Formats: sequence, C-alpha cells, structure tokens
Amino acid sequence: MTDPVDPSALLTTDPSRRPGEGSGRGGPPDGPAPSWRKDRILPSSPFYAIVRWGGAGLFAALLIGLVISIVSGSSQAFSHSGMGFLWSGTWNPAGGDYAAGTLLVGTVLTTFVAMVIVVPVGLGVSVSLTELAPKWLAGPLGTVIEFLAAVPSIVVGLWALLVLSPVFAAHVEPFLEGLPLLGHLFHGPAYGPSILLASVVLAIMTLPTVVTLSRSALGGVPLADREAAMALGATHWEVIRRTVLPGARAGIAAAITLAVGRALGESIAVAMVIGNRPAVPHSLLAPGATLGSAIVNQFAESTPGLGTSSVIALAGVLLLLTILVNVVDQVLVRGRGARRAVRVGGVPA
Amino acid sequence: MKEADDVTNLVTDLSPGRVASEARTSAERAAHEPGGGGTAVTLENVSITFGNHVAVRSVTLQLPARQVTALVGPSGCGKTSVLRAINRLHDHMGGVVHGSVRLGDLDIYGPGVQPELLRSRIGMVFQRPNPFPTMNIFDNVVSGLRFNGVHNRRLLREMAEMALHNAALWDIVKDRLHQSALRLSGGQQQRLCIARALAVEPEVLLMDEPCSALDPVATAKIEDLITNLSRDVTIALVTHNMFQAARVSDHAAVFLLGEDRVGELVEVGPTEQVFETPQDPRTRAYVTGHVG
Amino acid sequence: MSAFSSAETALAGAGAGAGAGPDARLAQAARDRRELMRESARRSLGRRRMTGRVMQVICLIALPVGLAPVVALVYTTIANGAGAVNIGFLVHAPTPPGIPGGGISTAIVGSAEIIGIAMAMAIPIGLFIALFLFERRGRIAASIRFSADVMSGVPSIIIGIFAYSVLVETFHHFSNLAAGFAIGVLMLPIMVRADEEAMRTVALELWEAGVSLGARRSRVARSIVLRGALPGVVAGNLLAIARGVGETAPLLFTLASPTFAMTLLIFNDATQPFPAAQQTAWGTALVLLVFVLTLSVAARAVAWALNRKAR
Repeated sequence: MTDPVDPSALLTTDPSRRPGEGSGRGGPPDGPAPSWRKDRILPSSPFYAIVRWGGAGLFAALLIGLVISIVSGSSQAFSHSGMGFLWSGTWNPAGGDYAAGTLLVGTVLTTFVAMVIVVPVGLGVSVSLTELAPKWLAGPLGTVIEFLAAVPSIVVGLWALLVLSPVFAAHVEPFLEGLPLLGHLFHGPAYGPSILLASVVLAIMTLPTVVTLSRSALGGVPLADREAAMALGATHWEVIRRTVLPGARAGIAAAITLAVGRALGESIAVAMVIGNRPAVPHSLLAPGATLGSAIVNQFAESTPGLGTSSVIALAGVLLLLTILVNVVDQVLVRGRGARRAVRVGGVPA
Repeated sequence: MKEADDVTNLVTDLSPGRVASEARTSAERAAHEPGGGGTAVTLENVSITFGNHVAVRSVTLQLPARQVTALVGPSGCGKTSVLRAINRLHDHMGGVVHGSVRLGDLDIYGPGVQPELLRSRIGMVFQRPNPFPTMNIFDNVVSGLRFNGVHNRRLLREMAEMALHNAALWDIVKDRLHQSALRLSGGQQQRLCIARALAVEPEVLLMDEPCSALDPVATAKIEDLITNLSRDVTIALVTHNMFQAARVSDHAAVFLLGEDRVGELVEVGPTEQVFETPQDPRTRAYVTGHVG
Repeated sequence: MSAFSSAETALAGAGAGAGAGPDARLAQAARDRRELMRESARRSLGRRRMTGRVMQVICLIALPVGLAPVVALVYTTIANGAGAVNIGFLVHAPTPPGIPGGGISTAIVGSAEIIGIAMAMAIPIGLFIALFLFERRGRIAASIRFSADVMSGVPSIIIGIFAYSVLVETFHHFSNLAAGFAIGVLMLPIMVRADEEAMRTVALELWEAGVSLGARRSRVARSIVLRGALPGVVAGNLLAIARGVGETAPLLFTLASPTFAMTLLIFNDATQPFPAAQQTAWGTALVLLVFVLTLSVAARAVAWALNRKAR
C-alpha cells in the first residue's frame, strides 16, 4: 500500500509541527548560542564532509537519474507519435496502437469516483472520531483505520479480486443498476471487474490518508473559536459546522490532494480488479484500464523497442500527473497554512 | 488622544478608592442611573469543582441589573470559573457547578433549561479576541444572529450596524464589512467580539479580562464602551486590574485564595466602598498591598 | 425563511411605544429587539437541534462503513490463509502448479534478501542526508528536502522502471540486487524525513534542557542528539521497512520469477484459476500481513515509549 501513516508524524508530539513545516529552520532555535550553529553533529574533518555532501549528492543523482531514465526510455514512443501519444487513438499493443488517451480517461475516472466515495466517508469518520465519539473509543478506532494504511496493496488487491469482486457481481452491481436516477451510470453486464470496483479499492486504500490528516486538521482548530460559537448559543453541530470544519479547510484540502496523489499512483491493486480493457467505458460497471494498470499488465509482454518504450512513456505521463498533484499539495499546505498562522488576536491597536 | 489623557490623569493618584470616586464624577458616569431595577443574576452558595479539585468555594453574589459588577482578585482565585458558571460553559469542560445560579427567577441548571437559549441571553467576551478566522467582519457580527434563527438579510444588516455602533466600531469598519476579521488590530478585534456578543441582544454580558491582551489605548476605548453599554446590559467584568475595576464598575466582588488554596469571595459591595473603606481585613490587605 | 419575518421587520423598523421622548422610544425599541431575539431563538431551537442530530447520525454511520473493509480484509485473510500456513508451507520450496506439497520458502528468503539489500542501502544514506539537512539551512537543504517530499509521492511502479533502466537493462538480467535497489530508493525519502524529524524533535528538547542547565554545547551535545534521536530513527525506519516489504510493483520490473518474493508470488497466484494457487496466495498474504503488522506495531511501540520518556 502506498505510503502508510507518515512516520515522522508518529514521532512529533506537537501536532502543529507537521513534517514539511519545519523546513528551512536549521537546527535548534536561535538561543543565546551562535556557537551551536558553528558546531556540527560530526566533526568538520574532510572525511565527514565528504560523507555528508556525498549523501546529499547521491540523493540528487537519484532524482535526476529517475527523470532521465524515464525520458530516455520513452523517447522512442514520443518520436514515433509525437504529442498525439497523449490523447489520440487507443492502447492496443497487439494491433500496434500506442496511445495514452483512453488510459488517461480511465485514470481520471477511477480517481474521481474514488474521491466521491472516500471524501464523504473519510470526513464523516474524522468528524465522528474527533467530535462525536467518546475519547476512550476514538483512540482505538483511529488506530484500526490507520492499520489499513499498513496493509500491503497486494493483499488489498487479493481480497478485492477473490472476495469483493464476486460480491459485487452478484449483489452490488445489480442493485446499483436498479437505482432510479443514478442507475444510468451503472448499466450493462456485470462481471465483477469494473471501473467501479477499482474505484472502491482506491477509496479503501486512500481512506487512512484522508482520515489521519483530516483528524489532525480538525483537532488543530483552537478551543477559543469553539467557545466563541458556544457562547453565542450555537448547538453542538453548529459549532462543528460553522467553526471547526471551516477552520480545518486547509488541512482537509491537503488531505484530499494527497489522497488523489496516492490514488493516481496505485497500480497493482487496480490492475487486479479493473478488467484491463483500454477503452472509454460506457458505464461504471464496464471494465476499463488506467495508466498504472496498463503498465503492470503490459510491461512483461511488450515488444522491445516501440512497445517497451511506449509503456515507459505511460510511466512518464503518470509521473507528470503525480508531480503536478504533489506541487498543488505543497502550495495548499504551505500557502494556506502559513496564512492561518498569522492570526492576530492580541496585537496592540 | 483624549482617552489616553483621561487614563493618565486618573493614574496619577495611586489609590483605587480615589480613582473610583473620581470616575464617578466624570461626565459619562453622571448620565448613568444607579439602581436600574432589581437583580439580574443571583449566585447562591456556588462551588465549582473539576474532578477532585475545588476551584472556588461558597460564592454568594448578586449582579445588579444594568450595572457593572467587577470580579477582582489575583489570578487563580476562581473569578473566571464563576463567570463561566453563569453561561454554563463548564458543561463542556468537565467542571461541576454546585449551588444555585439564577437568571432572574430561572434556575439555569434546572431541568428543562436549554443551554443554547440561555447563552443567547447571556453573552461572553473572552480574554484574547477570538473572531472567527474564516469569516469576514459582517459574518462575524451576525454569526450569533444566524445561530439563533435570524436570516432575514435586512434585519441582519440593521442589527449588525446597531451592534457595531454600540461597540464604537461602525465608522472604522463600515466600508470594509467584507474583509477578513483578522485584518483588524487587536483592540478592534476585541470590539468586534463585543459587537458580535451584543448583536444577539443579551440581558447579561460576561467579560473575562477583555483588555488583558491589549495596549493602554485600546484598553481605554473598551473601558469607555463598558460604561456606555451598562445602560442596557448587565455586565460582569473579571479583571485583575483594580484600577480598571475602580474606573468602570459600580460594584466590586473581591476574590482571594483561602488558606487551603481554594478561591473564595471575600467581600462584595459598591466599588467605592470596597476600595476606600473595605470591611474585611483581607480586602484591605489586598487593596493596599496592591498599591504599596 | 423565518416564519415571522414580517413581524420582525415591523418591530425592527417601528419600535414605537407608549413613551414620550426619544429616550423612551429607544428603550422600547431595545426591549422589542430583545423580545424578538428571544422569540427567534426559542422557535428555531427545535429545528436546529434536529438538523444537528441528523447530521451527527450521518457522520456516525460513516464509522462502520470506514471500518468494515479493514475488518473484513483481516478476517478473510486469516480465515483463508490459516488453512494453508503450516511449518511445511514456510519451509518447503514451491512445486510446479498442480503438484501439492509446495511451500513458499524461496519467496520468504527472497523477500528477506531483497529487503536486506534495500536496508543496507537506504538506512545509512538516509541518516547522512538527514544529518546534512539538520545542520544546514539554505537553498541546497531546502531543495533536497523538497525533492525528498516529491520523491515520496512518486508511484512505486515508476521507481521500478527506473531500477529496470539502471540495473536490469545495463546488466541484462533480473536480480535481487535490482529489486533491492528499487525498494531502497522507495524507502529512502521516508527514512530521510523520519530521521530529520527525530533529530529536530530531540534537539529542541535537549537544547531547552541543556541551555537551562548551562550545558556546554559542542561534542557532548552532538553525541547526545544522535543518541537521543535513535528511538525516533528506529521507529521511522521500521515503518519504512514495513512499507518496503509490502511493495509489489517494483519487483515486476526487476525479478525474473514470482517465486523470488512474497508479494510477487501473491500477485501471480491470485490470478491463476487453480484453487491450490489461490490457497497459496492467501497463505502468503497471511504471512506477509503478520510480518508487516508486527513491524508497524513495533514502530508504534518505540514511538510511544519515546513520547513517554519525553514527558
């Protein structure tokens, strides 16, 4: 399963010091001690300098190497089809067609439906745990949900394929087909593997991310805001709705963005349950394909040369999407978070 | 600025008693009718406990209607606890209130009393200004109205304007009602919180050290406000600053720490009397010790 | 909207009373407004409370919905896998499909080897980079930190392709080394983040304690910070390892056969129509799950002990 509970979040006792927000501050606070800054953890001898700089340099090399390998690996595919690779045509290796268009549709669709499921559920769980449930219960329940983050994605995929898929085919999908208005989204024969099932799997896998970060955001709303609302005669729910939820907006937005990033990158579990039919689906019950699932399924059998290069090109598109989402997340977390910290109460007139 | 001059003049004499008498004779005080009629809030034998810890013991106190009662004393003596008992804020914090608290005839801890309704009749202003950070100025002021079921736009605008006038904030914010509340200075934010509390037309306004986070100029403005507001609203003001109590209040209740480190009400009476001719030796020690 | 809005506006506008002068009228208007507020509050409370209760029920319903998948998953894995797992399962090598009596020993050993390689790479490098970040301010440190954050969001499948290009293509064969490299690259950003955070947290507390005691900053401080950060480093690394063990995608690009790693074995067997293969998949999944959960619990235990000590 992609990224479990952020380990550094486990370690910090102070909920306001989320990872990433301490960035830029070097070492302990500026006390009376400029000499601390001159001291290093390890002596300044050349050997240790090499070690330290070497580590940093190696990391940079890794990153650059990653980008270069993807770019060079996909160059053949792009020189063959140009930018049309991204949107035109279909993905049909047997017939020699290599284009990402339908796969992009599948990726976006599964991620979107997954968010439609996980955001309300995740928020509901977060609000329940932070506001409604008694403290002695909220802790253990929260831990159970976080354990979901530790479950490997392959195990989730296995369970979804062998247990969830038959249940979906037999009960859930016929039921959804029968729904009055929404039923039109769910028509067609139901074999089990489908866009819907893949979306549900993605929702399950991203739930811990949404819940953990939202809980943190909700808990970070100052008591003063709640008391102000209470003192005006607000009911418990009004306090939640008008004070706590708006106050946690930035954190919740970051949680959702992070969840989107995870969902985009999840390939193994999706590959197992999506049915692998690279075509624009006419219904959520139809099988489909995403960038990740296509890479998983096609790589081993791809013809060397254009075929393999195209698969790597798919990976490149996925990487771009991921970086885009990551950047949006950084902006949301840093930008909005920094502004909230400037809250004024108590500054002299 | 005029307010700053007044403050400086008052402070040249070091005794709170003198301050109280002089405050009485200034123009604003003359316009005020003492004894506006009855008692707004009655506390009888009130003790407040948090688990096993007793915060304050056996408080018997009356808040006369449409007057300012100051609760003074060093910190930790239970003044804030007593204040929060009046609008039942302890319900959420795990504090237990023993004894009886009445708003007029109503026992506010009695069965069948809805805390939300009670809190729309008893407003509160907190120590640090706490405007809702995600709302603009207008939404902040009318938030209480919206909570209590008022949604008519014209009515909201009128009541907001009235509340902002009463908080001496209208001229400052009238052109920027849709800006974020956080762009106001600290003193302005506190007046915004006062306006927000006033908009709901409470009978009683509880103020928990409203000026302690503010500079002297902002403090003076708010003290002016308190005096004006007490014409319509009963005010209970917690403050650790005896001079402020002397300037602004009609009655004073002195809280001190008893021998067993539990807060208790030592003396209560008209402000002038409590500060100039205190009955209880502990009060005298507190009042003079503060000066010397 | 409000049931009595015409009355509201009438009262607000008029404020007419029996009193003579403007003062009395103002007072009457004030009394009217107050009465209006009381009335509005009283009437709206029932509806407001009902709305609140409904919304709270909706939120609470989300709880079992969110919990059900974990519970069902763990239960099913245990139920289906327990039948397959026994000593033989763990100790014997796999047999060709259809022939009973096989186990997953090669996969267990393979996974262990791969993780070992990954740990040998990622743990020391992660520590050095974290030290670098801890000591330095400035653009270089900030950009490295940013890159680590970005990298931790890169899908594991892309890292698998990277390992393929660098190691498999170059040397023309799949290997545990390539797999270990991929997993190591995956774990590295997580470890760096956790290590640096552990150092900062400890340094802050030690700094405050040390300064108040007048301790001499220098070599003593250095070794104290390192030693103090150790539990945090251990906890963070354990979590990263737990994640690394559970990865499948990078192995697709770097391993020759599914029998060389547990996760790949599950992936392979799950899609085969033989019930025996599916049994093996469940059994392997159970073993994997137990291992990963143990690591997670251990990490939490270390972090909890650390937080306790810090109080």
